[in-house]
Amino acid sequence: MKRWARPVGIVIACGLFVLPLLFMLTGAVRLPGLPPPDGFEWLPDQVRWANYSSVFGFVSLWSYIGNSLFVVAIAVPITVLIASWAGFAIATARPRVQKVLIVLSLVALMIPLSALWIPRFVLFKWLGLTDTLVPLIAPALMATTPFYVLIFALVYARIPASLYEAARLEGLSPMAIWRRVAFPLGRAAAFAVAVLAFTWHWANFIDPLIYLSTEDRFTVPLALRALQTLEPTNHPILLAGAVIATVPPVIAFLIVQRTFFSKALEV
Amino acid sequence: MPRHIGTVVAVFVLLAACTGDEEPGQSSITVQVSGEREETAVYRAIVQAYENDHPDTQVRLIEVAEKDDHLTKLATSFAGGDPPDVFLVNFREYSQFVARGAIEPYGGFVDDLDVELGDYYPAPLEAFTYNDELQCMPQNISSLVVYYNTDLFEQAGVEPPRAGWTWDDFRAAGEDLTQGDVRGIGVEPSVIRLAPFVWSNGGEIVDDLEAPSTFTLGTPEAREALDFLVSLAHDELIPTEQELAAQDLVTRFITSKVAMLLSSRRETPEFREVRGLNWDVGPLPIADERAGILHSDAYCISSLSGATETAADFVSYATGRQGQSLAALGGRTVPSLMSVSDSGAFLDPTQPPSRSEVFLDGIADLRRTPVIPTWPEIEDLAEEILTRAFYEPGYTIDDAIEALRAETEALFAEGSSQVQ
Repeated sequence: MKRWARPVGIVIACGLFVLPLLFMLTGAVRLPGLPPPDGFEWLPDQVRWANYSSVFGFVSLWSYIGNSLFVVAIAVPITVLIASWAGFAIATARPRVQKVLIVLSLVALMIPLSALWIPRFVLFKWLGLTDTLVPLIAPALMATTPFYVLIFALVYARIPASLYEAARLEGLSPMAIWRRVAFPLGRAAAFAVAVLAFTWHWANFIDPLIYLSTEDRFTVPLALRALQTLEPTNHPILLAGAVIATVPPVIAFLIVQRTFFSKALEV
Repeated sequence: MPRHIGTVVAVFVLLAACTGDEEPGQSSITVQVSGEREETAVYRAIVQAYENDHPDTQVRLIEVAEKDDHLTKLATSFAGGDPPDVFLVNFREYSQFVARGAIEPYGGFVDDLDVELGDYYPAPLEAFTYNDELQCMPQNISSLVVYYNTDLFEQAGVEPPRAGWTWDDFRAAGEDLTQGDVRGIGVEPSVIRLAPFVWSNGGEIVDDLEAPSTFTLGTPEAREALDFLVSLAHDELIPTEQELAAQDLVTRFITSKVAMLLSSRRETPEFREVRGLNWDVGPLPIADERAGILHSDAYCISSLSGATETAADFVSYATGRQGQSLAALGGRTVPSLMSVSDSGAFLDPTQPPSRSEVFLDGIADLRRTPVIPTWPEIEDLAEEILTRAFYEPGYTIDDAIEALRAETEALFAEGSSQVQ
C-alpha cells in the first residue's frame, strides 16, 4: 500500500461520518418556516440560535432529559458491574465451561430484540412495572447485551493466568481477585463498555415506546420522534433537538476518552 | 458484594413505588392516539374539556408521534394484556383488531348514551360496521382532493380545478404546469390514490367489497385508469424517483416544485403554516362518474378494558358536538358530525383553503376499500408493485396487474376467511 493511502483513507472515512453531523449543526440554525434547502447548505443566510430554545416549546425536553439521565445513571454502572463479573467468570472458567458460556452468550446475542417485546411486556405487567422507568433499566441487570460480557471476557482472558494463580495462592477469593487484579487491569474495557452502554440506553427507543404512556416519564428518543412529525419547514427545530440530544453522549465520551487512552496504553 | 445487590433492589422498589397516582373514588381511563403536534393538541383539548365536565373521571392521554409506532405499541400492549381503554385507528387498519376480538363494539352503548347516529355521515359509520355491528365511532371523514399552488397556476396561466373537470383537463393542466424543475402533478403510487380513478372510470378494484378474493384491475375500465396514472409518471408530469428520493411529495409541494398534490384533509394544518405558500383545494378530476375515496379514523374501545362504560361515555363526548367542534378548529379533520362540518368551526373562511366545501361536496360520492384484517399488508405489497409500474423501465401495466393479482392472492384468502 502507498504511504499516503492510509491518511487519505482516514480523512475520507472521517468526512463520511462528519458530514451528517455538520448538516445537523448548520440545519439546526436555519430559519424555521422556510422551505427546506435544495441539497446541502453550508451555512444558512440567517443564523437563528433561538431554535434551541424553541425546542423546549415543542416538547418538555428538560423532563425527558432528566428521565434519560436517571436511566443511564443507574443502568450504566449496573451494566459495567454485571458485564464485568460475567466476563470475569467466563475468562477464569475451565476451558470446557468457558466454551459453553461463550456459545451461550453468542446465542443470546443473536436473539432478535423484537422477539422479546411481548414476553417482557407480560413480565413487567405482571410485576406492575409498566409505565415506570424500571423496564428501561432492567436490561442492565443482565449486562444490557451479551456483547459487553464478551468484551470483558476477551480482555480478562488476555491477563496472564499466572497473575490469577498467584492471587489465588495468596488466598484471595474469586471476588477479591476480580476486584484487585482483573478489574483494575482491564479498566479500559470498563470505560469502553460504559460509553457503549451509555449510548445504548440513551438511544433506546423501543422500550420507552412500548412501556411508557405518561408523558412525565418519557425519555429523549420519544421527544425526537415527536419532533420528527413536524412539517419539513420546521425541521430546523428537529435538528436543534437532535443537537441537544447528542450533547450528553458526547460529554460522556469526552470524559471517558482521556482516561481511556491514558489507561489503555498501560495494559 | 451483597451490599450492591441490596442497593439495586432498593432502587427498583423505590422506582416502582413512584407510580400509581390515581386518587380514590375516581374512575380513570387511558386513551391512545397518534398524530402530529397540531393533531394531538386537539385530543389534549378534548380530554381537558371532558375532564372539566366530568370531575370524577380522569383521562390519561397516551400520545404516540408516528402511526407505525402507535400500531406497534397497540399490538404489544394487546398481546401483553394491558391495552389502553380507548384508541384511535384508521378504518383500513381496524379490522385486524376486530378479528382478534380486541374491540368492544361501540354499537352496544349507542342506546344508553342517547347517541343519534342519524346525525353523522353514513359512509364512515358503514366503514366501521363489521359483522353487522358498529365497532368504533368515527371522528372524521375525508375525501381525496387536489391541493394546488395558486401562484404556479397563475404563472402558467392555467385555470384552477373546477367541479366536473375531466382527466384530460387534469392532464393538460399538468403538462402546462410542468416547467423547469416544477412538476405539474404529485400522486403516490398507492391503491388509495388509484382507487378513485378506477371507480370514476366505472371499474372496481376488488371483486367483492365485503369478502374480496382478488384485485380486479385487469378489466378494461380499471386498466385504463391505471394506464392513465402510469402515463403521467412516464411523461414525467409526476416527480421522478430520484427527485422523490431527495424530497417527498409534500416537501416538493411546499417548496413549489409540485403544482398539484392529491391528498386528504391531513395536509391542511401544515400547509397553513408555510410562509409564502399560496394554495387552495379543488375536486378530483373525473372520467365517467364522480368518485372519491373515504379516509376516516375512529375511537375504538378495548374489549379488555375494565371501564368500558366510562370509555364509551368519553367516545360519545369526543364525537359529540363539543368534541367535534374542537377537532374542527384544529384544522386537521373534517368532522363526522354533519352539523359541525357545516359550521364555521370547519368552514372557517379566514383560513386557507378558501374552498373547504370541496371536502364536503365529495362526501356523497365516497367509496371505500375492503375491511379485512390483511388489508394493510395488501396495500403495502400493492404500493411496491405500483411503484415499479410508475418508475421501472420495461415493467408494463400488464406485469403490474398480474403481479398485483398473483402476489396478493394468499393475503386476500386469509383476510376474507376471517370475515363472517
